[in-house]
Amino acid sequence: MSSNAESKIAELKAQLKQLNIEYSKIKDIPAEQRADFGKKLNLEKQKLMAEIAAAEEAAAEVDVEALDITAPCDINGEMPEFLAADSGSKHPLMTELDRVADIYRSMGFDVVESRQLDDEFHMFDSLNFAPGHPARDNFDTFRTEEGYIPPAHTSTMQNRVLQRFKYKLDQGENIAVAIPGRVYRNEDLDATHEHTFYQCEGVYVSKDCTLGNMLGILREFFEKYYGQKLNIATQPGYFPFTEPSLEFKIEKPACIGGKKGDFLEMLGCGMIHPNVLKQAGIDPTKYQGFAWGGGIDRLVMLRYQLSDVRFFESAKLDFLKEFSC
Amino acid sequence: MLISLNWIKKYVDIDIDNDELVKLIGSRLVEVEDAIDQTHKYDKIYAVEVKYCEAIEGTHLHLCKIDDGGRADKVERDENGYVQVMCGAPNVRKGMFAAWIAPGAIVPASVHEDAPFVIGMRKMLKKYDSYGMMAGADELDLGDDHTGIVELNPATTKAGDDFAQLFELDDIILDIENKSLTHRPDTFGIIGFAREVAGILGKPFKTPDWYLATKASFENSKDIQVDIEISDSQLCPRYVALVMEPHGKAEHKYLSFRDTLLARSGMRPIDPIVDASNYLMLLSGQPTHTFDYDKFIAVGGTKTPKIGVRLAKKGEKLVLLDGKEVELVESDIVIASNDTPVALAGAMGGKDTEIDENTKRVIVESATFSLFNLRKTQMNHGIFSEAITRFTKGQPSAQTLPVALEFANEVDGLMRPVAVFDSQKTAPKAEKVTVSVARINGLLGTNYSIDEIVKTLQNVEFTVEQKDDSIVCTAPQWRTDIHIAEDIIEEIGRLNGYDNISPILPLHGTADADPCFALRRHIRDFAASRGANEVLTYSFVHGDLMRKVGQNPDNAYRIVNSISPDLQYIRQTIVPSLLDKSYANMRGGYEKFALFEMNQTYPRTNGLDEQNVPNGSHSLALICVGKGGSNYYLAKKYLEQLLASLGIEFEIAPFVAVADKTNAYYEPKRSASIIVDGVRIGDLGELKAKVAREFKLPLNTAAFELDLGRVLESQQAVTRKNFRISQYPFVMRDITLELPIERPYGEIEQQLRATLEAEQLIYRLKATSIFRAEGETQKKISFHIEFSHPDRTLAKTEIQVIMEKLEQVK
Repeated sequence: MSSNAESKIAELKAQLKQLNIEYSKIKDIPAEQRADFGKKLNLEKQKLMAEIAAAEEAAAEVDVEALDITAPCDINGEMPEFLAADSGSKHPLMTELDRVADIYRSMGFDVVESRQLDDEFHMFDSLNFAPGHPARDNFDTFRTEEGYIPPAHTSTMQNRVLQRFKYKLDQGENIAVAIPGRVYRNEDLDATHEHTFYQCEGVYVSKDCTLGNMLGILREFFEKYYGQKLNIATQPGYFPFTEPSLEFKIEKPACIGGKKGDFLEMLGCGMIHPNVLKQAGIDPTKYQGFAWGGGIDRLVMLRYQLSDVRFFESAKLDFLKEFSC
Repeated sequence: MLISLNWIKKYVDIDIDNDELVKLIGSRLVEVEDAIDQTHKYDKIYAVEVKYCEAIEGTHLHLCKIDDGGRADKVERDENGYVQVMCGAPNVRKGMFAAWIAPGAIVPASVHEDAPFVIGMRKMLKKYDSYGMMAGADELDLGDDHTGIVELNPATTKAGDDFAQLFELDDIILDIENKSLTHRPDTFGIIGFAREVAGILGKPFKTPDWYLATKASFENSKDIQVDIEISDSQLCPRYVALVMEPHGKAEHKYLSFRDTLLARSGMRPIDPIVDASNYLMLLSGQPTHTFDYDKFIAVGGTKTPKIGVRLAKKGEKLVLLDGKEVELVESDIVIASNDTPVALAGAMGGKDTEIDENTKRVIVESATFSLFNLRKTQMNHGIFSEAITRFTKGQPSAQTLPVALEFANEVDGLMRPVAVFDSQKTAPKAEKVTVSVARINGLLGTNYSIDEIVKTLQNVEFTVEQKDDSIVCTAPQWRTDIHIAEDIIEEIGRLNGYDNISPILPLHGTADADPCFALRRHIRDFAASRGANEVLTYSFVHGDLMRKVGQNPDNAYRIVNSISPDLQYIRQTIVPSLLDKSYANMRGGYEKFALFEMNQTYPRTNGLDEQNVPNGSHSLALICVGKGGSNYYLAKKYLEQLLASLGIEFEIAPFVAVADKTNAYYEPKRSASIIVDGVRIGDLGELKAKVAREFKLPLNTAAFELDLGRVLESQQAVTRKNFRISQYPFVMRDITLELPIERPYGEIEQQLRATLEAEQLIYRLKATSIFRAEGETQKKISFHIEFSHPDRTLAKTEIQVIMEKLEQVK
């Protein structure tokens, strides 16, 4: 910084200090004059602060030495070296999502990522939510000023993937899509609750697929995922976009400390509601399907026996380096 | 919701053991969070007759001798076989029957505590032996009353009876996860729940006759007229008002079976009117509310009750039963007396019409309201009662009248009904749903016969007709959730057990990798294997974060109901989030690190896509922080090698500050644009000093962010088409060029390469240093060059010519 600019800034700052001292005299001024007095000083103060900011900005610009953006290193500097390979790491949630996607792909599922900002139609209308359904209200779902929605579930993609892949039905093939993605829920943060988390959706449509097929696919997925045979169980559930709706459970695998009879709820699932197919332009009298969605964060927490979901979005190297390559 | 299995057993025969039953309920109806075993909670508690009772002067105690039928052991008995026990309750007296907790028994109220309280023998007032304890409702965990001991009805009690047996207290209490029954209002009552249990067990259920009543058994009194005016039938599909008057006197209060049912269901006996209301709600799912008739008309200033059901008006206020005044919201439904609000419908009554000891006539309200409005009322006013929980599931309107009429039965002896008014003139027509057996089995993957299907539905009181290979079903009046074939299919699958359906994996092929996923995986592997750490950070950021980096929050989507200001805006780029997370890591002792994140961003300036939703970008951001030389060049190295690994030809061009300020944090003189085919695909640079200071980061911090969509488009197969091997020796030379300080390095390297290529050489070129001596205006760039000719060994003279050409580069 040139000494010229420096002294100019110092002078302006001194003026500001003086102004603040003036301001403190407001209590000695008759009450009826205070408003005018305050207003006048405020105006001066704002003007001064703007001048200081401008002077600082100008000084900063002058001061900056350009660097050669095309060079491999600084003048008189060392050639940069990559950081040590063993200090690098991949985020465990992303690694897991990749694995999940791989398994679905090996089972014939196209993989499409979910959006992170969507609208009322995809989040609710296209999924057979009644107009006043509680899930739509702001107690659960975030909304932007314009009414866009950071999705609360990956199901927000169902209508899109049905539309995108329905050509396959015309070709006599099935729709089979897995949709991983980031979702958001209006929840207070604690060790087991995150407002930002990851889910994976599955959508399957064909002429004659059954609930039994859904159970078969889900069991196959988790058996591949855990690399062992698994017992499964279900429980009735309720979602507006599936009928019937179920909760799907697996017997906790030995590799994550499971015991016999110890079941884990993995995801919600069900046969796609005819209205959802209709909304996507698929004739529910000709085709039927099933869909499911479950959390990824929990899979990772179980796998690594993590105690706190907040680690995931902490960007703390202490945590990340636990997953070094 | 707490459900007593013994209560359920009043309505359905259960012939399997409790564990199995709980498991079946879990797999075919609802998630059972806990099955609380109370089968031993009342062990060693006996009905006793007080044979002798003497007040001890100067104390509140009585010395009592009780007949326990000889049941207790470890006690001393007098010549008549009676046991001595001291009792401080004011209502203890000779001849009464009481509940006695014998020595060795656990006080039921303490059963679930860490250290349950076990009764023994106590010495009282230093001289009286006292065995066990005569119990109050609170100690028995059957109420809050601590004013006296419970009294048992002598007509139905013998000394020595097991207390548990008298009231069927050897029970299992199911703790039900309400959420999974959101769509089944009927199961929020014992009758509905029991019906499902019957269905699950394959047994026919019979709903009690009173629940099916369609008219009153009494004539309306001519003197009573109640007008019901509903502003919108969506708000209130049906409103039944029962007027009752006093009749008879309160009987002596003995502990009743009903009291114990209320207690087991998590409620408490309070007074006959409230108890009747709560009991019927637990039984049927239908809440009721009681107004003081005379107060009701006084508030409205009318001669006869004029009940209005309407939305609240802005600014209206109401003092509720709990004494709190609430300002009503326009989505609240209110009950009005001649347009003055007297109750917050479904949530809580008003203070002005509360029943009290002077109440004579009452109006019992049994109605249904819009669950959507009540849900808002619940959240806006923070009212989470058992009643509103049931209302917000959408109770069937058919049960309003029967429950009102049954209310009269429950308070029989105290009050009698004089008139009932019903807003519903004609009952809604039942829907019929037709579905074929083939469709049912075809959707479930089962093989049920038509007889099995019909029986399954009839067990839970559907009316079913067979028509060829189809069934025509009429749902019972309480099943407001049955509209389409799939609803029927659900019943068949669920009641017979989804777990009995064989999982069958359909044949499948494999799918191709999605290019964007493949790209991100490549980047992840690339960066992590070069020492960078992948992070995930929130999509939501504070407006101040954007201001700190010079972005304009007006260009970001703002969340109107964010959890906190920290999470109010949807971020426009990822780099600011990485800046925000870096200082904590520096402070954590990490001297040098690189963080990267791949995620979606939604700057508002991206506009909307063809579906009219915000256009998102997939971004990669990487930041290099810490000591040891310029991080700009380290970040650049990550960037260049990454793009090279993707076969992308790019240019590092002078920085351009974009109009929407998304890249406002880069120092223009020390940053660059990354250009592919003339299009900017991202930025690379050091931060403005001001920005670095805001985040307490060193000035040499540098970052880049790339639009992965563009990267994907630009990605090319990496070929080795120009690769050649030379048979001839390589010449190795180091050269140093002296150049003006402002001369860009990139151009020099380009020229050197062009020179080497013009000579048809196979070569390797590497800069080794860039040096500038103090006070000099020139810089010296040194290169290490190795080259060879593919066709011959280069002669000395040739080498000299090449070197001269290279040295002329400037």
